[in-house]
Amino acid sequence: MKCPLEAREDREILVAYGSRALGGSDAELLEAHVESCAACREFVREQRAVWEALDGWEAPAVTADFDRRLFARIEGEISWWQRLWGRMGLRLVYGALPVTAVACLVLAGVLLDWPSPRRAPAPPVTTAHVESLQPDQVVHALDEMEVLDQFNRMMKPDGSTPRM
Amino acid sequence: MGGATAALDYDAELMLRVKEGDGESFAQLLEKHRSPVVHFLYRMVQQQAVAEELAQEVFLRVYRSRGTYEPTAKFTTWLFRIATHLALNALRDGRNERSQERLDERSEDKPVLQVEDRRPSVEQTMVRQARLDEVRRAVAELPGKQRAAVLMHKYREMEYTQIAKVLNCSESAVKSLLFRAYETLRARLAHMA
Repeated sequence: MKCPLEAREDREILVAYGSRALGGSDAELLEAHVESCAACREFVREQRAVWEALDGWEAPAVTADFDRRLFARIEGEISWWQRLWGRMGLRLVYGALPVTAVACLVLAGVLLDWPSPRRAPAPPVTTAHVESLQPDQVVHALDEMEVLDQFNRMMKPDGSTPRM
Repeated sequence: MGGATAALDYDAELMLRVKEGDGESFAQLLEKHRSPVVHFLYRMVQQQAVAEELAQEVFLRVYRSRGTYEPTAKFTTWLFRIATHLALNALRDGRNERSQERLDERSEDKPVLQVEDRRPSVEQTMVRQARLDEVRRAVAELPGKQRAAVLMHKYREMEYTQIAKVLNCSESAVKSLLFRAYETLRARLAHMA
């Protein structure tokens, strides 16, 4: 007869059974099957062998100074000002408040009275003005130049162009 | 289950008191969980000094996190999540390599060191030590997550759901991890029966 527990999911149940982690009706059903199935019986036997082998592995006791070392590390993590705060507490606050208030007033007075450095005059902003010329303006200017040129030639019969 | 719920509430309550600045509650948590955490880490890294160093770091992190602690999960789930994370990091960094060397040395040295007057006792001790070394080697050869799952399942008797939360994976993934781990262990240790 083919074993109904050949699938891996079913074998996981056998692991639980072999680890004695299965109880109630599930355990009873499996027990009945395991008795009649050689493959499952072998599987459970091996699983129980592993379980018992692991049982024999005891961990050593924790060393006696474990807590002392831990608390020393915790103590070491607390910063100096936290420790100072813990010691002085509110006394420090009440004692420091008037002193702090006076110091703030003096500082405010000094800052208000402090001559502010004269600002150097800002250098004049020089910007280049570039006029954009439209094509018709250019044509118009050339026309005017030609008119002037003609005017000059009329005024100077030798034909020499005036020096610009 | 009722006991587990009560334990959850009590540990979380203690941690909330730590959050409020009660050092005595932290001492109580330490007293209760010190050995389980150290033993778990010892079986993970297989060296007592490294295990204790890591356990110190676990409790230090618990203490540091007191200000932001919220009891959203079971306290032990949170605690073992920190412990597993540190152990897996240590395994990755090879901090336990020396432990394996020591284990190898011990296998040869132990019979000499354990010699006693009565012969049967010596033999028993030798056999027991040899079996123990075999168990340790078999566990040490498991991949980190499988190892953590087996140790929580076997020695802390954690349910699949809690192991899944510790390892931050699904319950079916835990079943698969455990199945593969026990498969390897059966191949290595079944002859011990």
